[in-house]
Order: sequence, then C-alpha cells, then structure tokens
Amino acid sequence: MAVETSQSVAKAAGARSARGRGHRTDNTPGSPGPGRLRRALSTHWYAWSMVAPVVAVIGVIIGYPLVRGVYLSLTDANEANVERTIGINHIPATYEFVGLENYKAVLTDNVFWDRLGWTVVWTVSCVALSFTLGLVLATMLNRKIKGRTFYRMALILPWAVPAFVSVFTWRLLFNERSGLFNKLLAGGGIDAISWLNDPTWAKVSVIAVNVWLGVPFMLVAMLGGLQSIPGELYEAAEMDGATAWQRFRHITLPGLRPVSGTVILLSSIWTFNMFPVIFLLTRGGPGDATEILVTYAYKLSFVVSPRDFAGSAAWGVLILALLSLFAVAYRRALRKQGDMW
Amino acid sequence: MRRGIAATALVAALGLTTAACGGGGDNQGGTDSSGELSGTVTFWDTSNEAEKATYQSLAEGFTKLHPKVKVKYVNVPFGEANAKFKNAAGGNSGAPDVMRTEVAWVADFASLGYLAPLDGTRAIENQGDWLPQAAASTKFDDKTYAVPQVIDTMALFYNKKMLKDAGAEVPTTLEALKDASAKVSKKWPGKSGLYLRGDDPYWFLSFLYGEGGDMVDAKGKKITIDDPSGVRAYKTIKDLVDSKAAITDASDGWNNMQNAFKSGKVAMMLNGPWAIADSRSGAEFKDPKNLGIAPVPAGSAGQGSPQGGWNLSVYAGSKNLDASYEFAKYMSSAKVQQTTTEKLSLLPTRLSVYTKPSVSGNEMVQFFKPAVDKAVERPWIPQGNALFEPIRLQMANVLGGKTTPEKAAQETGDAYRKMLKDYK
Amino acid sequence: MSTNTQTAPTRKVRARGERSPLASAGLHLTLLVATLVAVFPPLWLVVTSFKPKTDAFDTSVIKNFTLGNYSHVVSDTQFLAWLGNSLVVVGITTVVGVFISATTGYAVSRFRFPGLRPLMWLLLITQMFPVAVLIVPLYNLLASLGMLNQPVGLVITYLTVAVPFCAWMMKGYFDGIPAEIDEAGRVDGLTPFGTFWRLIMPLAKPGLAVTAFYTFITGWGEVAYASAFMTGEENLTLAGGLQTFVNQYTADWGSLTAAAVLIAAPAAVVFGLVQRHLVSGLTAGATKS
Repeated sequence: MAVETSQSVAKAAGARSARGRGHRTDNTPGSPGPGRLRRALSTHWYAWSMVAPVVAVIGVIIGYPLVRGVYLSLTDANEANVERTIGINHIPATYEFVGLENYKAVLTDNVFWDRLGWTVVWTVSCVALSFTLGLVLATMLNRKIKGRTFYRMALILPWAVPAFVSVFTWRLLFNERSGLFNKLLAGGGIDAISWLNDPTWAKVSVIAVNVWLGVPFMLVAMLGGLQSIPGELYEAAEMDGATAWQRFRHITLPGLRPVSGTVILLSSIWTFNMFPVIFLLTRGGPGDATEILVTYAYKLSFVVSPRDFAGSAAWGVLILALLSLFAVAYRRALRKQGDMW
Repeated sequence: MRRGIAATALVAALGLTTAACGGGGDNQGGTDSSGELSGTVTFWDTSNEAEKATYQSLAEGFTKLHPKVKVKYVNVPFGEANAKFKNAAGGNSGAPDVMRTEVAWVADFASLGYLAPLDGTRAIENQGDWLPQAAASTKFDDKTYAVPQVIDTMALFYNKKMLKDAGAEVPTTLEALKDASAKVSKKWPGKSGLYLRGDDPYWFLSFLYGEGGDMVDAKGKKITIDDPSGVRAYKTIKDLVDSKAAITDASDGWNNMQNAFKSGKVAMMLNGPWAIADSRSGAEFKDPKNLGIAPVPAGSAGQGSPQGGWNLSVYAGSKNLDASYEFAKYMSSAKVQQTTTEKLSLLPTRLSVYTKPSVSGNEMVQFFKPAVDKAVERPWIPQGNALFEPIRLQMANVLGGKTTPEKAAQETGDAYRKMLKDYK
Repeated sequence: MSTNTQTAPTRKVRARGERSPLASAGLHLTLLVATLVAVFPPLWLVVTSFKPKTDAFDTSVIKNFTLGNYSHVVSDTQFLAWLGNSLVVVGITTVVGVFISATTGYAVSRFRFPGLRPLMWLLLITQMFPVAVLIVPLYNLLASLGMLNQPVGLVITYLTVAVPFCAWMMKGYFDGIPAEIDEAGRVDGLTPFGTFWRLIMPLAKPGLAVTAFYTFITGWGEVAYASAFMTGEENLTLAGGLQTFVNQYTADWGSLTAAAVLIAAPAAVVFGLVQRHLVSGLTAGATKS
C-alpha cells in the first residue's frame, strides 16, 4: 500500500530507525548469537513492545486454534468423543488420528463442490455489484452538487445499522405471505414472488441484501480514492478537450487502482466468509440452496448431531487454503500490473 | 473529536460498572442440616409464546414449597434450545440446572454424558403412574434420564365454519383432503385447504407413517426411509402442493402456518396440542368451538402420527442437584400436569391425572388421549433427533422441484447410513 | 481531517460550469433513488416498531400508533441486560482495539524492525480466517480457560477480528503524518513512546475515530461467535438475544423492531460522530502510495 512512503519516512525519522534497518540486514538467519540478540533487543525493543499486544492476541487466539483446527481435521473428533468436563465428571478424549480421511471424504463429496460453486458465484456477484454501485455513486458524490452531505450520510446509513438488524428487516420485507414487497406486487397485479422459498429467488435475495450492506464500504473507499486524484489532472485533460468518459477512463480508473486493488481483495475475503447474512436470512435454505462454505462448516460443528468437529475443521482448512491461493494469485496479478501494496 | 473520545470513555466506564455488577451469581446450594433445600435452580423452558406465561408461573410456584430455593426461569425458543444446551453443557458453563427437553433429545444428551441419571433420586415419584409410552422416552441404556411432563401427537386442526361454508366434509383420507381443499379454493379463490409444513420434518412423519413407513427400524437395525413407503411419502407431500391442495413455505413455516390458519387463509393444518392455545388466539377462533380436531387423514396404508412430548431433565454438572431433582419432580407432578391441561389443554403423562374431572372433561384431551394411545413411537436412540435434518433438506428439494421423490428417499437413506454405521 | 479539505476546491472550478440542467436532474434523480433504497429498510423498521404487534405486516405507515413495543421490550424482556452485555463487550473491545491497533500501526509505519514483513503478512492473512476453522478450537480453548460465557472471552475474540484491519488502517493514517514531527519530538528529548503518545496520537484523531467506528460496528453486529460462546441466558449479547424474538417458532416482530431501533440508535450516534472522517480515514493508507 504505502511501502515506499513509509520507507522514506523511516529514513527521515532519524538515526534510530535507520540503524534498526541496517541491523536487520546483518541479523540474517543462521547467526543469531546471544550478543546480537541483546543488541537487536536494545535497538528494537520499543517497536517490538508496540506490536507485542497484537502479536500476542493473534498468536493465542488465532495461532493456537489454527494449529488445533488443522490437527482436528486429521482426526475423527466429534462431540461424543472429545474431552469434556460436566460438573465433576471428566470424560477423556477418545478420538483417533485418521490422516487425510476427512479431506478425502469432503473432496469426493458433491456437497463440497456444489457449495464451492455457489460460494464463488455469491462472492463474485456480491463484490462486482457492490463495487460497481459504490464506484458509480462515489463518482456522483464527488462532484459539487447540492445536498452532498445529506446524500453521503444517507447512502452510508446501511453501514451504521448493525448487520443482523438489517437482515431481520429484510426478512420482514421479504416474507412471502405477508411481507411488504409481495403486497406491493399484489397491488400492481403481479403474482407473489417466493423471495426466500424458491431456490433461485432466495439466491437473488441474499445477494441483494449483501450488496445493500456492502455498498457503503465501497462508496467510502472509492470516495477516498477519488479525492486523492489530483484535480490538476482533470483540468489538464479538460483543456486538451477530453470528454467526460475519456477523463473517467484515463484518469479516474487508473487513479483508483491502488484503492480498488485492496478493497476488492478485502471485500472478496469478507464476502467469501460472510456468515450472518445467510445464516440469519435463510439459514442456508430452502434446502441447502443458499448454503455457502462457511455456513455449511458452521452447521457441521454446531447444528448436526453428533457435532462433527473434525469434518468442520477440514472444511475450514480448505476454505483457508482457497482464500490464501486467491490472495497470492491476486497479489501477483496486481504486481504484474505495477501496483504494489 | 473530544466529544467522541468522551463518549468512548463513557461507554467503557459504563461497561466496567455493569461488568462489576453482573459478576457471577452464587449458585451454590443444597440441603442444610434440617434437610431444607436452598440455592438457585435455573430452569430453561422451551414452551412456546402462548404457553410460556403458564409455565413461568408454575415454575416460580416451586418457591412456595421451598422458600429458600430461588427459581430462575428462562424461556429458550424451542428451535434453538437443543443447540444452546449443547453449547453450554459441552463447554461446562452456562447450562441450566433443569431443562424442558423434547422427547427425542433425551437419548442424545444422555449419550454425551450431559444428563444426570435420575434412578433412585428424589426426582422420580410414583413411576408406575407414568404412561408407558411416555416412560419409554426417558430411558437410555436402561437408566432413566428424565421425567415425563407432557405427551402429544398430531391431528388435523380444521376451521369448522370454513369447511361447512365450502360444503366440505372433515377429511379422513388424503384423497378426501384433496377434495375438501378443492372445495375451499373454489369457494374462496386465493384461499387454500391445507397448510403443509414444508420446512419441518416432524410434520413429514404423519405422511410417512400413513404410507406404512418409518425412518429406521431400530430393533432390526435397518434403515427404512428409502423403502417404497418413504418414496410414497415424498410423493404425497409433492402431490399435495403441486395439486394446490396445500400451500407451503421453505422457511418461517410455523409462523406462516399459524397466521394463515388463525386468519382463515387456510381451512386446515396438521398440528399438535401445543398449538391449541395459540390457535385460539386467532380472529377465526374467537369462538373456541370453531376449532375442530380430527385424526390425521389416512394415507394409503392407514392413519398414523408420531408420538411426541416433553420431559424434564437435570444437567449432570448442576451445582445444586438436590434442588434440581426436587424441581423436576415438582414440574412433573400430578398437580402441575393438571394445571397445564386446564390452562393449555396439554396432555398429562400421569395416569392419575386423567381421572380428574377437569382433565377428563377437556374436549382436547378427550380427542387426543385415544390418538396418543395409537400414535407411532419413534426410536429412542441418540441419533433420533439427527434423523430429521436429512429429511428437512430433501423435503425442500422435493417441494422445490429440485429432485424426485425416489432420489430424495434414496439420499435420505444414504445420509442415515453415514450416521448409523451399524445399520443396514 | 486534512485530506478531507484538500480536494474539494479543485473540483469546484470544474463541475459547476459544465453540467447541463438535465444532467443535474439525472444526477439528483439517481442519487435520490439510491438514497431511497439505502434508507428504506431502516426506515421501515422504525415504522414497524410503532405498530401494534399484530399489525407488523400491515402496509399502512401509521394506523394504530403505539409505544407498546418499546415499553414491552424494555420492561418485560431481557433487552436491557443484553444491551448492557453488548456495551461491555463492545466498549472494552473498542477501547483496547483502538489502542493496540494504533501502537501496531505506528510501529509498522515508522520503524524497520526484524519481523516487520511477517507481521504485515500476518495482519492480512488473519482476515482470511473463516469463522469455521477457528470457532471449535476457540470454543474449546475458552472452555478450558473458563472464559466461555464470559464477556472477556468475546472481547478477545473480537479483537482478533477487528485489530488486523484496524492496524492496517492506522498504518496508512500514520504514513500520512509527516515524519518531521517525530523528529521534532525526538529533538525535544521525547522517547519514541512519548513522541507517539503526545505528538502523533493527537494528530491521528480522525484515523482513531474511524478505527473506533470500525471496531464498534464489528463487535456490535457479530453473530456467530456471540451465539456459540455466550452459552448462558444471562450473558447473551444483542445479536443472540434478538434471535429469541424472531426464530423458527416465534415471530414477535413488534418487539424485534423496537429492540432493533434501540440498538441501531447508539450505532447511528457513533456513526454520526465519525462519518466526517470515514472517507479520509479509511483510505488514507491506500491513497498515499
């Protein structure tokens, strides 16, 4: 994102950090003598102590569960054989290591591929739609127009309402028998739509709700991006007689690339793992039509009986692997285009 | 931004004080030297909106008998209660001392070690008075893990006036049901005969039993859902919806069903005694006599409906076991059961209660008691509750046209085979 | 703050003279439609909350106006307890989260130290972690530490959700604060912490506000962890509590909507306080390169 800037900042920031930087180069792996360690400690202790809380929190709450999750995915753990304490009774763990059995089972099961397919469709359509809408609205809001603050506040509002509250509201509106949407349709003489009961409509509905929730973030990010494009560029282009479209195509879009790169990556990851919208709107139904990978994995560990901890962990590890692959590929693609973050 | 920071500080300060106040309550209790019970009993009740006020006052009535015991009544929605109890019990924190447990949950919880065995404790009183069907659901591995409180089965609920105005008889078979539905829709276009729960597999059982099928044969250790009877059951629900004899939803079914029935948008529904109180709150049933009850219409193999009900179980990790046992005994006592019948028309699980005039004279009891005697008992195995999820999925697929009844039955069977490794 | 003001004047010159009345009307029309879509559901929520419970699905805007839902929610349900629990959890998460993401963001922005690169990667990768991998082990971990069903367990969990992104945002924000300020502090004899705390933090208030907002919203709206970890009824947070109003077998939309309005209000207040800074704060990092 801002690597270059921060490097120059660090350089200007004075001798201490500059020394620190130099230090890193000679502290290459393989020669961490005790004296060096002490020297590194005395040079970097403040930087380390500033990041320590975050590293500690991440290490304990993400590192340990992750390692444990990967381990569980290689066993046959479920709620009936894990270690548990009920009052004074202690029941020891009896699950066994089964190697890659769970992965084999998941990958040879159609359920996984079906869910993956829909999750990809869900992620791509949600991100694409909310990105496009966010960009269009940001472009409009970035002009000098009357009531700009009002529009901006109103358009960001969905972000300020907690997601689960909004989702409940949408359920109220979508209700097939008595919801507002179907009453309006009936008023217009149109047949009721099974918003959440027909597999296809349910998919459309969950995407619509998620886009509604996601646009404000995109809008805000795009506004920030637009404001960082120097106005002189536009003035110069205007003098050269460029049309509005040409200006958008050749100044705005390239100018937005650094922001959009990050924003699309983050929002893809978030949407891929978006739990509350689907869980609260349809519970994955009708049938399993709107079940994405995360909601299914959650179902395995908290809904089915007996709770399948190992299977759920295997799904989770696969999700993580998919996302990591995606992030690496995405970064590489961006880097090829000359963007770095 | 000073205001902002101040607000944050305020929030934090508020938070800390609340945290300090909310610090753990003392759950320690037991019996003092004189044998008097004390401490707190947390009770998770799963009764529905219309029933919960009655249950709360009954539960709190325990304090009159045992003044030193504090009852903490919590209503937990039925749909979430199973998962919530497992979350709490499995993590050994936050679980209630006593819970109103659905009959199919007992074996599940007990097999995981979450429930306290009750044999020989004060929780069990006059076991010979229990209805034998109700007693069966309290056992796991030859031990008693619950005391029965309510027994039920399903029936056809109908709107007497609507059927009469449409010129339809109360249907006794599914064929007759379709005829009656057609008459209703003909008389009032836009209204339907039956509301079919498409999102709750419990409602599927009546159709399955009506075709002579079952989910599994627990004695023969055999999976029977994918027998021809299972296929016919899936066909039945599909046919009812496709022929427009019934309307259905893949979500929010309970609320939509009750709303449709209470407001006269449908004339019939399948339901159990737990729906009586709520149904009578609807506009169509201002005159309670308008609510008709009949046996579930017969399928090709005859009439059948599942036996259900509610038990009370005690959490094995309860810090106050003695008071909890006593509370379970109280909630399943003849007196409490008589009250739930008088107020909510729920069916008692004690033979002695049926002899009380207020109970035997209750028209719902008069109807449901013989129905319960005929009801089909489910297999009381730990996986009993888990058998529903595959049916739920396939019902939605069949009703949504995503799969055929044959395929649905087969996939349900395959899912069962994964769950029940030693079954055929 | 500074970024917010810098660009507006440049655009003024251009846009005004050039747009035809028709284009202007089209612009307003599009924005109005978008505003309507954005605002309608929350608005409908407010409207429904003032209707009697039985009229929840009524299409009339206001027929039988009532405050009954509010009084019911506040006095007859556990709502206030849930609200208190949420405030505790989210309040502590926000304060701690903002502080540690600021220190991390600052360290990452200003110093080159061994472990910098892995840390940056860690912050990114952490955001990819699906609830599904972590939730069961985390549940077991909290259970064994006795932190299940305790606000502190949820606080720590939320920190891991919010802090990586917030640290990332704060780094971007600090990148935009000239390094000369640090230098000046050092010349005056301040320690690195002193510089950070006395000079940089006050300058970074808009960024801090955005970080606070983000952390707050993350915790306020989280469902999965809250439902799984707050096992006892007395410790439910709002996300879990509200599900008891509307679920498979109950549909008390009156109570739900009233409670939802009461919940959304504080969020909207926080939002109102920081929305000015959202634009500049959120993307400061991304746009400085």
